[in-house]
Order: sequence, then structure tokens, then C-alpha cells
Amino acid sequence: MARKPIRDLTLEEQLARGPLDLPFLMLVALLTGVGLIMMFSASYASAYYDSSDMVRNNPMYYIQRQSAFALMGLAAMYIVSRYNYQNLRKWSPILLAGAILLLVLVLTPLGYGKKTVGAQRWMKMFLVAGPGFQPSEIAKVAVILFFAARLSKRDTEKKKKFTRRTTTGRCLNWLEKVGFLELVPYGAVLAVVIGLVLLEPHMSGSILILVGAGAVVFVSGISLKWFIGAAAGVGGLLALVIRFTSYMTARINLWRDPWLDPRGDGYQTIQSLYAIASGGLMGLGLGNSRQKFLYIPEPQNDFLFPIVVEELGLVGGLLVLLLFALLILRGYWLALHARDKFGTLTIVGIITLLAGQVFLNIGVVTNLIPNTGISLPFFSYGGTALMIQLAEMGIVLSISRQIPAPRKD
Amino acid sequence: MRSKYERGSEGRPSVPSNDTRGTRSKRSIFRRTVFLMAVCGVLMFIPLAWKLWDVAIVHHEEYQSRASDQQTLDHEIAASRGKIYDAKGDVMAMSATVYTLILSPNDLRKSVPNKDQDGEMLEDDVWEGEVAAKQEKVAADLLQLVPGLDPERVDAQVHAIKYSYREIKKNIEEEEKEVIQRYIVDNKAASYLYLIEGSKRYYPYSGLASQALGYVNAEGGAVGIEAMYNDVLEGSPGRVVTTKTAAGTEMYNSYSQYVDAVDGYDLHLSIDATIQSYLENTLEEGIIEYDVQNGAFGVVMDPNTGAVLGIASSPDFDPNNYSKITDSILNTKMEENAAALFEKYKADNTENLTDEELLKKAEDQAYYSAVNTQWRSKALNDTYEPGSTFKALVLAAALEEGVVSESDTFYCSGSVQVPGYPKPIKCSKTTGHGSQTLSEAVGHSCNPAFVEIGQRLGIERFYDYFEGFGMKEPTGIDLPGEGSNRKLVWERDVMSGVDLAVASFGQRFQVSPLQMICGFSAVINGGKLMKPYVVQSVSTQDGTIIQNTEPEIIRQVVSRESSRRASEILEKVVSEGTGGNAYVAGYRIGGKTGSSETTEEGRTIVSFMGFAPAENPQVIVLIAYDKPQESAANPKVGTCGTFISGGNMAAPKAGPLIAKILDYMGVEKEYTAEESAAVDVSTPRLTGKSLADAQSALSKSNLGFRTIGSGDTVTSQIPAAGAPVPGGSTVILYLGDAVPQEKGIVPDVTGLNYEAARKRLESAGFFMRASGVSTYYGNTTTAESQSVSGGEEAAIGTVVNVGFFNVMEDGSVGVW
Repeated sequence: MARKPIRDLTLEEQLARGPLDLPFLMLVALLTGVGLIMMFSASYASAYYDSSDMVRNNPMYYIQRQSAFALMGLAAMYIVSRYNYQNLRKWSPILLAGAILLLVLVLTPLGYGKKTVGAQRWMKMFLVAGPGFQPSEIAKVAVILFFAARLSKRDTEKKKKFTRRTTTGRCLNWLEKVGFLELVPYGAVLAVVIGLVLLEPHMSGSILILVGAGAVVFVSGISLKWFIGAAAGVGGLLALVIRFTSYMTARINLWRDPWLDPRGDGYQTIQSLYAIASGGLMGLGLGNSRQKFLYIPEPQNDFLFPIVVEELGLVGGLLVLLLFALLILRGYWLALHARDKFGTLTIVGIITLLAGQVFLNIGVVTNLIPNTGISLPFFSYGGTALMIQLAEMGIVLSISRQIPAPRKD
Repeated sequence: MRSKYERGSEGRPSVPSNDTRGTRSKRSIFRRTVFLMAVCGVLMFIPLAWKLWDVAIVHHEEYQSRASDQQTLDHEIAASRGKIYDAKGDVMAMSATVYTLILSPNDLRKSVPNKDQDGEMLEDDVWEGEVAAKQEKVAADLLQLVPGLDPERVDAQVHAIKYSYREIKKNIEEEEKEVIQRYIVDNKAASYLYLIEGSKRYYPYSGLASQALGYVNAEGGAVGIEAMYNDVLEGSPGRVVTTKTAAGTEMYNSYSQYVDAVDGYDLHLSIDATIQSYLENTLEEGIIEYDVQNGAFGVVMDPNTGAVLGIASSPDFDPNNYSKITDSILNTKMEENAAALFEKYKADNTENLTDEELLKKAEDQAYYSAVNTQWRSKALNDTYEPGSTFKALVLAAALEEGVVSESDTFYCSGSVQVPGYPKPIKCSKTTGHGSQTLSEAVGHSCNPAFVEIGQRLGIERFYDYFEGFGMKEPTGIDLPGEGSNRKLVWERDVMSGVDLAVASFGQRFQVSPLQMICGFSAVINGGKLMKPYVVQSVSTQDGTIIQNTEPEIIRQVVSRESSRRASEILEKVVSEGTGGNAYVAGYRIGGKTGSSETTEEGRTIVSFMGFAPAENPQVIVLIAYDKPQESAANPKVGTCGTFISGGNMAAPKAGPLIAKILDYMGVEKEYTAEESAAVDVSTPRLTGKSLADAQSALSKSNLGFRTIGSGDTVTSQIPAAGAPVPGGSTVILYLGDAVPQEKGIVPDVTGLNYEAARKRLESAGFFMRASGVSTYYGNTTTAESQSVSGGEEAAIGTVVNVGFFNVMEDGSVGVW
């Protein structure tokens, strides 16, 4: 990229070269670093005892891969942050279409995961080779970007007018008037994406997409009544499902008392609580977790946070939570100060998604909420997920570049 | 502030209406973002932090202890229980590690994968089929692996899928364990098949000294030395606490805490397995010979130290298998008892039980009482009426107090009248012993004489000695469950003249056999009452002695001189009196017979207390048979045909026992002149010698001769040169052409007296070796047995052992 002298840059281009938001960058770097260290500690034992062909008792197995992806992710974040996010407006529909295509492809024999976890969630990066990734991860960003791009133009869009002569026309006019009609495209996109994700099946992925997209729609100024209506609908449906399906009832009972099935479905939760409780206030010391010795299944994944608390104590756990809280707060702060609506909505989507993931993961491991199976950003093992996460942070940073500096008086 | 940015960036108003809409929407976006910021950045973390606090701090202890429970591997290291050695260092009890094989049928089922090789879930019925196949295979493997299993039981065990603990086999020894362990490893069966370590107590001598040794059950030593010395033997178990992974293996960074096990100490008994076996064999022989119903007991002790060399009680048991009833008499009794109880329960069936239940109840009750019988040591836990053996104590007391002397004479008319008792008290010889010296009175075991001696002592002095000899206190032996006889003796202040009279010959009170032998020891060992013991020393397992039992004198009861005088008189009981059947040539055995009536109809306890050598006792033996079966025709005579008394039953068993023990202990035989005459001599070589030379050689050897054939030269001799024959026997010399017969018919000599028996055997070309009693001249001394039965053919010159027996008139007299 041959660099033009500054005087030749357009205003847009000059803005895109603004300074990165340093606090946000530092928080991301800090979380990635702490996450890597803790993932190393947690995965060491499980890799050490794993004699499968893949791991071959190599205690460094997970950390080697994760570090490589973290480096690539940081690079990706930097590259994305240099990219003028305004261009994403026009790319977003294509991105969404691509994501939907991937979601379709993953259901074909190109995808995998059915045999290992019973769900078709993964694909190879280059279709037949390369590291695996989850198309749903891409779908999350794509939906957020698409929604943000479209909703940011909401104010300038003219109201649609239909002929008043037909009943249909009058109905449509009424629907447009109450603001329903503008929601239809979003609803359709969500239905397609979530429908595909549920086909994998991937419940937690669907929840996160809903959270991210919902946040964008919410902030964009859609009338609250639709939200209340949708929340009531979803809540009612959920209540019905919980009440009338024995599977969900059992799950809820198990949430209330994991010791109902200590060797079966309650096992993970119990082991997680044991780990957190073993940590106490100050923890057993870095590397000294005992629960990681195969008690907690796959401690490098969803149940990594209990190991953090076991080793670093309540103090360490709260510090990690504080880092997340700061990152989230800084994220929203950037959203509030973003140069345009598109930036605001994009950040809100990405950060709410992140916050939702943090809440659902830590809520699960502390048994605050029933088990859902959501990984902890920056911490849980999963190279491509980490990369995508960092790339999302890159988008936030890119938006932060275009925040005008406050005038110095 | 925000509005400024907005204006700067996209504040290009296009349509006025849109402008106001835009401003409103901007405000709404701002508000809603701030709302989300508050929710996701702050509020959301409150429940998370609270819950973290709740788990990590509030429930810290609770969860952490459960976590450490699952994370730590707490092995108990069993302390090895000490061994028990006999006096010669032979192992009488030892522990070995054994294993129990456990199957978890539930985990066996789970071990069958429910996915195929491609990871597809199997259909339920397919899986069940595979489970069934695996169960069959494991059952077959187990049967092959562990010999002696019941196929039906194993089959039921592998199919008991609700359970996770089924004992396949107990007491698996090291070798077999290794085979099983290899199978488990090879077949990856550890998830459902495993071995638990335990320990088993072995008693190499099985039933020997069983009540004294006791046995060990799950809680530790239960009876005998095992119980008494449980703390010493047991040691204390150690522990290893290590951390483990969920897979049960050690963590790579595991830390361990060791608490060493302290092994138990070894015991070295004063009991000698050899002497113990002599004693038990003697008891068994007598039980069979005299048709004894209630078993027998015996104690062998060193009278000078109180060290118990042997202590036995029959029926006994095998401590290796202590709950099994091995004794055949006891088994028969148990069955009879069960039948009787069944009838009793049936007659009084208030709970309306079925016959089966009643039978079960009766059998359980009978078994319970039988098994407790075999665990009891009669020699220690029970009491008996000592009978005439007690006279020795009275004798010693009277000698000490000077109320009698060897020159005193006593007159026995066959009974004696005691004031306060309606009937005359009879002597065992109802016709009376007439006038007799003190030692004769003791030798006769004469009751009227002892009534007189008791009266001379008087109640007070009698009671002093009664207590002095330890008859009212436990002996203090280091064995559990010593019987208390407090209620079985009169108190000093209520003892009457009649009590004194009958007590003088050992009736109407009860003591334990151990108390009796200790008291008797005090009579003959120089007057000291010793504290008996069975454990000579305690050592660590590498042999360092940490405690040694020193003989303990409880008190001096009578003087050394009185003791010596009493011993002399008691020796005559065997050499001349009622103890004659205990006589063994070469050993100077002293002793006293006893026959005790009991309150039970037809039950007499016959006993003999013997010691040797009389002048310096090395060993004292008490043996007793409880209830030799009376014959229906004459209750005085047993079904075996022997007169029921200590002198006729216990003494002939005790004599050879004492001789064997002395032999074993290496005490030299010392023959009297009379005895040496009958001692075996080696036949000199006579063939080829002249008759005159032969004659002088034979007379030197204390042998007689007769000749067959004629001539001057001995051509042949019987017995052959070097063959041992009893002194005084007649050697046959063949002269000239006379040829000895090869074989002859042994004549029947039973019922004959000594001389007649010898003559008859020698005339037939055999020699006689007499045994059994000291003097062979009395008319009552008759041959009772012969080693080659009459009518059988034997080589000429064979020495026939002939057992003589003296019928003693020392039966018990009823004073109850």
C-alpha cells in the first residue's frame, strides 16, 4: 500500500488514520494475555493425560495452537483496525450472504462435528483443508454488521406508501405506520440465520446471534413495544417448553440441585463449583489447580473460568471480571462517541455479544443459570474463535480511529 | 458534548423533517446505548460477583472438603500383626496378605461401549446383546481364572447389574492374585474387576492350643491370647494420602503424606507346641477310651515359675476356621440339642411360627451354644470341684501348722460321722482302710482321715490356707475370661463344720483348674504361690525383646520344709497308692488323684494332678475328663468297663504324658534298684560260646536262660545278639543240633498277674516287657493289654509289651 502524503488524503481517509483507542487496545491485549496463560495452565493437565492420536500426551498441545492463533488474531485485529470501516456498509450484505452460504455448506458433508459432539458445527478454513472454524462465529459478525449498516440509514429512509384502494394496501399502510413493516427484513434475515444455526444444531450460537442482533435493533431506536412483545413471546414460549418438556424440566431441576445426578448431567457443574470453592479467597496458586486433573471435563474450553478462580482465588476471578467490565464499558463509551450511527450500532452489537458471552459463561460455571455451553471470550480454547474475536475487536478499534479528538480550548 | 460530534460528522441537514427525526433518534440511540452500557457493563456483573462470592467464600469449606475427598487417595497401610511363637520359636500364629476379588456388575455393563467404531450410537437391543455376551465371557473367564467357584453363583453375580459390589472370592493368596492382576491388566477390566487387600491370620498348628491362642475376626483378636494381647499384636496402621486425577492415577505433581504403619509386636509363649500336642493327644485318647461326654481339660506348668507349658480344653476348634464346629461329639450334641429345642419351641409356639422357622431358630440356638462351648477354655473359664486332688493342699497346710506328722496314724472304718450332717460320710473304700499312717492315708485318698486332718486345722486356719493357696482370687494369668468362683465357695463366717469336713477332701466348692494347679504347685515347689503366665516375652518383629516375663511369687504359703514333706508323701501316692496307674519306671512321679461329683446326675469329673521328678519338680500336670459315660448296669463303672475314678482313668493317662514330657525336656531317668532290674538290657553274643561262658555272660547282664537240645556249645540264641530285652527275662539257648523255631503263637495273658503272664509268654518263646504300675505283686494288678494279641503269630523272641493295671478304690463319694 503506497502511502499518499497526508495533504492528498480525503477527509475520510484522514479520519481513518486517527489514533487507536489505547485503553480499549490495552484491555484487549491484557485479556488475551491473561487468557492465554490461564488456558495454558488449565489445558496442561488434560493434554498431559490425553493419549489420543491428536494430542499424544503433549501438555503443550493446546497452548501452542492457541498462541499461534492469538498472534494471527492480533495481526488480524491490527489489519482490521487500519481498515476504513465505512466500507463495511457496502460489504455487509455480501458478508451476510457469504455467512449464510457457509451456514448452508456446513450442513453438507463439508462440515463436521456430528460424530464428536453430535452437532455439525465446524468447517475447514479452505473447505477441504486448514484449521476448523464455526460458520456461526462469522454469522454473528455478519448479522451485526448488516443490521447496523441498514439501521443506520433508518432516519433517512422514506416511509413506504401503498395504495389505499385495496384492503391489502390499507393493511400494509397500517403496518408501516406502526413500524412493523420495517422490521420484516430483519426478522427474515434472523429467521434464516438462526434457523440454519439451529439445524446444526447449535443452541448457544443462536442465542448469541439473537443477543447481538437484538442489541443493534434495540439501540437503533425501534419502538420498545416490539421488544416487549418479542420478549413476552420468547419468555412465554420458554416457560411452556420448560413446563411441558421433561427434558427441560429435568435440566431446570438439575440446575437447582446438581447433586441430583452427580455422576451424570450434574457432574460438570459440581466439579466446577468444587474448583471455584477450592480457590477460596486467594486461590491455590497459578498452576496448582487440582480440579483440572480430569475432574472438570475439558477445562480448556467452557469451564476454564473455575480453574482461574481455583488457582487465583476469588480475587483473581473478580479481577478478570473487572477487566471484562472495563472492556465492555470502554466499548460502549466508544459506541457513544463513534463518528456515525453505523459505528455506534456496530460497536453496540459486538460489545453486547461479548458481554452476553461473558455473562452466559460465568453464569453457567457458577451455576447462576442453567448449563448452556458458551465459551469464555479470550480464555477458552479455540483458535479460529479467538481470531474472529480479535478481528471483531479490530472493527471496534477501527471505529475508534474516526472518533474526532475533543477540541482543546 | 455529543451533539457537537454529531454536528461535525454528519450534521448535513437534508430534509427538515428528517432532521428533527434524526435528532430524536440520536437521543434515543444515546439513551439506549447508555442503558445497555449500564446493564452489560455494571449490572450484569453484580449477580456474577455475588455468586462467585457465594461459592468461593460462603461454600468454600463445604465444597472444598468434598473436592479433596475426590482428589485424594487415602490408602491405609495395614500394620502387620505380630506373630505368636511357641517356647521353641515355632510359629503358632502369623498373618499374611490376602486379597478379595470384587466384581462390579453395574460397571461391567457400562464398560460395553454403546457406540460402534465409527462413533454411531448403537441400537439398544444390539447393545444389550453385546452386554450379555460380555457378561458370559467374564463369567467364563472368572471360572477359569479362579478355580473352585460355583458356576451358578458367578452367573448370578455377573448379571446383578443393579449392584456394584459383589465378592467373587475371599482369601486369595499372593500367587493367585498375580494371575488375576495380569488378567485385569490384559483385559482392561479394572473398571469392573478389582482386588482389595486384606490380611488373614494363619495358625500352622490348626487346632493346637486353640482356646489359648484364640482367633482374629474383623474387629481384631476375639478370644485367648489374640484378644488379651490384641493391642500389642495389632500395631497401628499407617496412611498414605496422595492426590489423584479423576482417572484414579496419581497427579504428575502429586504430593504425598506418609504416616508409617507401626507393626505389631511378636509374642513368644511359654507354651511349647510339642508339650501342648502331647497334652492334647492324651486328652483325646482318654475321651475316646472312656467314652467321655463333656470333653476334657489339661494344664502343664512349670511349678517353679508358673510358666504354662501347655493348656488345653476339649472340644477345641481350628482358629483358621473358627466358626466351624469340628469336634464330632460336639456336633452330635448340637444336633441333639437342636432337636430338643425344636420340640420345646414347638410345644410353646406363641409367635405362631412355621416349623421351618422354629427349626431354624432351634438350630441357630444350638449352634450358638456349641460354638461358644468350643471357644471356651474349660481349664481357665470354667470351674470344677477339685475332689481329692485338693487333699494335697490340706496336707501341706496341716504339715505347716504341725497338726499332723508322718508318724501319726489314722483309723478308717469306711465312713465317718460329722456333727451336723445326717448321714455318715463314706470313704471311697466302704469297707474301710483300717489303721494307716499319714502317707498311707494320703495314698489311699482316705476321706475319714482327711476329715480328721481338717478338723485338726479348724475352720479359721483352714480358711487362711484356702485363701493362701489362691483359691479365692483369680490367678492373674495373661489370658482373658478367667472364671470367678466367688459364689462357689463359702464365706469365712458362714463356713460350718460340715463344710470343713467335706472341703477337706475337696468337695462342695469349686475352683478353676488353673487356680487348682497353681495351688498344688505351691504345695510342691517349696511353698510359693506363683502367678501363671503364657507369654514369656514380647519382641519387635526383628527380634528385639522389649518385655520379658519374670516369674512372680504371689506369696509364700507354706515353708520349704513342709513343701518337701508333702512332696514325699505325694510321691508315694503314685509309687504305692491310688496314683499307681500313673507310675512310669525311671521317673519319680508324685501326684494326687481326684474324682469330683457334680450336681448333674451321672456326671463325674475324673482328674489327676501329677508332678515330676518328685524331689525337684520340673513339671506339673493336671488332666481331667468331664463325664465319662456311666454304664447302665453299674453307674460306678464306665461304658468302657473301667471304674470311674481319677486313679483308674486320669492317672494312667497322666503317667505316660508326664514321662513323655520329661523325656522331651531331657530329664534323665533314674531307676530304683527294683526298676533297674526290669530295665531293658542288650542280649550278649552267645552263639559259639560254651554253655558255662554263656551262663556267666547272661548273669552279668541280669538275664536268665533255658536250654533246648543237648551239647556244650551254644549253636543259636533267642533273642539275637544285641536285641533289647527286659532285665530278668529268660534267654533261650540252643545247644547242639537243636534248631530254633521261626515263629510261634502268642498266648493270651490278659487277666493274669505279673508272674503268671511272664511265665506263660516265656514258655512260648516270647519275652515280656511290663508297664503301667509300680508294683506287680498285688492281686489286683492284672495284665490289661498286650502289644501282640493272644492267638496271633509272631517271630520267636519277640518282646511283647504287656500293660498292667491296678484297680483303685478312689471313687468319689456322694456328699451333695
